[in-house]
Amino acid sequence: MTREIEHCFAADLGGTKLAAAMADADGRIVAELTEPTDRRGGAHVAEQLAASAVKLARTVGIEAKRVRHLMVGVPGAIDPLTGRVSLTPNIPGLQDFDLLGYLRGRFGPGVTIENDVNLAMLGEQALGCASRCRNAAFLALGTGVGLGLLIDGKLFRGARGSAGEIADLPIGHDPNSPALSVTGAFELEVGSLAIVDRYRRQGGAAAVTVRDVFRLEQEGDPVAAVVLDATARWVALAVATLQSLLDLELIVLGGSIGVRPELYERVRQTLPTLFSRPVSIAPSELGDRAGLIGAACAAAQALRAQERPTQFTASPLSSQTAAAASTEYPASE
Amino acid sequence: MPSPPMASVTRQLSRRSVFEALLHRSPISRAHLAKVTGLSKQTTSEVIDAFERQGLVRPVGRTSGNVGRTAVLYELSPEGGHVLGIDLGARLTVALADIAGRVLAEADEPTDSRGGAWALDQIARLADRLARDNHTHPSRIRSIVLATPGVVNPRNGAIEMAPNISGLGHLNVVGLLSEKLGSPVAIENDINLALLGEIWHGCAQSVANVAFLALGTGVGLGLYVNGQLVRGENGAAGEIGYLPIGGDPLQAEAREQGCLEYQVGASGIVRRYRQAGGSDVDSVREVFERAQAGDPLAVSVVDETARLTGLAAATVVATVDPQLIVLGGSVGARAEFADKVARVLLRLAPRPVEIRTSTLGKRAGVVGALSVALNKLHDELFGVAELAAVVPLPPPRAS
Repeated sequence: MTREIEHCFAADLGGTKLAAAMADADGRIVAELTEPTDRRGGAHVAEQLAASAVKLARTVGIEAKRVRHLMVGVPGAIDPLTGRVSLTPNIPGLQDFDLLGYLRGRFGPGVTIENDVNLAMLGEQALGCASRCRNAAFLALGTGVGLGLLIDGKLFRGARGSAGEIADLPIGHDPNSPALSVTGAFELEVGSLAIVDRYRRQGGAAAVTVRDVFRLEQEGDPVAAVVLDATARWVALAVATLQSLLDLELIVLGGSIGVRPELYERVRQTLPTLFSRPVSIAPSELGDRAGLIGAACAAAQALRAQERPTQFTASPLSSQTAAAASTEYPASE
Repeated sequence: MPSPPMASVTRQLSRRSVFEALLHRSPISRAHLAKVTGLSKQTTSEVIDAFERQGLVRPVGRTSGNVGRTAVLYELSPEGGHVLGIDLGARLTVALADIAGRVLAEADEPTDSRGGAWALDQIARLADRLARDNHTHPSRIRSIVLATPGVVNPRNGAIEMAPNISGLGHLNVVGLLSEKLGSPVAIENDINLALLGEIWHGCAQSVANVAFLALGTGVGLGLYVNGQLVRGENGAAGEIGYLPIGGDPLQAEAREQGCLEYQVGASGIVRRYRQAGGSDVDSVREVFERAQAGDPLAVSVVDETARLTGLAAATVVATVDPQLIVLGGSVGARAEFADKVARVLLRLAPRPVEIRTSTLGKRAGVVGALSVALNKLHDELFGVAELAAVVPLPPPRAS
C-alpha cells in the first residue's frame, strides 16, 4: 500500500472574505479557494469553514477525515485555555460560538484556532520579508488593526491571548471619548472607517471607501494627501511605541491599508522625526496572502508536532525534576 | 566542580535531582531524598556521599519522633559556593548569598561620584568586605551578576545609554570586574533584574507574565513573558522613556531624552512643577510631599504624572497582555501614586489588569541579581545540556 500524502487545512477568516487552502506536510499550498464570509456569522461561518475543508479535500482527492490538521485564523483574541474567541466585532456571533469544539467534532482533535495577524506574522517569517527575524511584529491595518508578535523566535500571545490587540492603544483619540467604549483609540484614528471619515470632515468629495481616498491621492487631491499624512503620523507613533517596548528587528506593515505604498512611504519618512532610535520597517511581502500562507505553515508545523510526541522520553526524571523543567520559579514554601 | 568527563546524562540527572531536593527540602534524610527524587536508595546514597566529599552537603542532625532507627539529616553546605549580586545606580548595593540562596549579608552606600573605574573599585572593596565579614574568602564567590541602568548589549555585554553613571559606557565592565573579583561576571539591565527579584521573592511570585514599570530618576520597563525576560533585538526592549506619550515628540528635548521620560522622569516632574509656578523644590520627593500636604499645584503635577504613567501602562496592556503590572522605583513604588495609576488604567485599558507596588523596593535589583547568579552557579554545577531549564530557586532566607 502506498503511503498517502498527508494534508492539512489552512484558513484565513476575515470579516468579508474567507480564504482557505489545502497544504501538504511541508506547508506548501496545493489547492485553495476564496469566498465571501457568510454574513449571518456564528454557526453559519463555522459550517462554511467545514464545508470549505470538505470541498478542498475533494479537490486534492482525499477524504475529509484524512485531513491531518486544521489551522484557522480568525480576527480576534483566542483564550489560551479554552480556545474561545473574543474581540471579533467584524464577524457577528463568533464570540458566543464554540468554533474549536465544533471543528473538533467534525474533524477530530487536530484543530487549532489562531489569531489571523499572528498567522500573517508566521507567514512573513516563513516565506516573506521577516525570514531571518527572531524579534518582529506584523502591524495589520485595514478595517480593523491588529498586531502579530514574534519574540525570541516564537509567537507571543500574552497572558490571556490578547497580546497585540492594539485597537486599544491609547494613541491619538481622546482617551475620555465615549466612542472608545465601542472602538479602541488607535483604531479610531487609522481604521479604514476613520480614514474615510477624516476625508469627509476635511471637506473632501464624497468618497465612499478608503480605496477611493487612496485613488484620489494618486490623482492629486490635496485633501486626500493631508488625510494620508495624518494617518501615517498615527501609524508612525504606533511603530515608535512598539519599538520602545520591544526593541524589534523588523516591523512589517500589512493589511489592505498597511501595504499601500502611499501610506508606507509616508510612515517611513515620518518615523525619524518622531523617534530618535533606530527602527526598521518593511511592507508585507506576501500581502493579502500572508495570513493564509502563515496558516498553512503553522498547520504543517502542528502536524509534525502531532507525529513526534516528545523528544525527551527515556529519562529517569522524577516528577519533581520534571516540574523543574518549566522555567518558573517556585513559590515560597 | 565539573562532573567527571565520562559522567553519563543519567548520572548528571541524578545529581541534579538530589541537589534540587536538597535546595527545596533541607534538612532531609537519605530515605526521604530517595522518595522525593524517585531514585533508588543506593543511587541517592552514592550521590550524597559524593556531595559530602565535595563539600556540597553537611549533616545537620537526626530525624526524631518516628518509630525505629533515626536517620541523618542533610542540608546544603554554605561552603558549596557563594554568589554575589550587585546593583549599581546612584547607590551601590552589594549582597552575598550561599549556594542554597540564603542571603548572608548586604551593604549599601552612595556610588563613587567619580564613576567609571572608581565605581568598579568600590564594588571590589565592598565584595571583599562582605566576604571577609562572613568568614569566607572572596575566591569562594563563584558567580556574580551586576545590575546596571542602561541598555546591555546582549552580544558583547557593553553598556549603552546609562546616563546616570558617568564613565561606564567606554569601559569593558564585565572584563574588568571579572578580573578584579576573580569570578565570571554577568551583566543585566537593573529593571529586568528588579523584575526577577519580585518574581523570586517579591510581589510577583509564580506569575508567568509580568511587566515591571519603574519610575525614578528615569523610567523603564521590564517584561517577563511565559517565564522569560524579553530583552529585544539589541537589549533595548523596555526603554519606554522613548514612548511617544506626554507631549510633542517633535520637540527637540523630548525627542532626545525620550518623550515620556522628559515628562515623568524625576527631573521632568520637578520641571513641570516649577513651570506651573511652584517654587523652591529641588527634588521629586518634595513635589510628592507637597501634594500629600494639599498643595494644589503639586497635586496636579502628580495627577498628570499618574495619567501619563497610566497611558504607558495601557500601551503595555494592549501590546503584551500581562497578568500583572508591578510599579517600582522611588516614584513608582509610592502607594498613593500606584492608586492613581490604577484608576487611570481602569478607565483606559480594555481588559482589567492587576497593579501591585514593588514589595522589595530598593532591594529588588540586588535580589534579582542574586537569583540570576544562583541560577548560573547551579547550572555550572548541575546543568544538563539536554535539559535547558534552570534549577528553580527556593525563597531566600536571611541567616
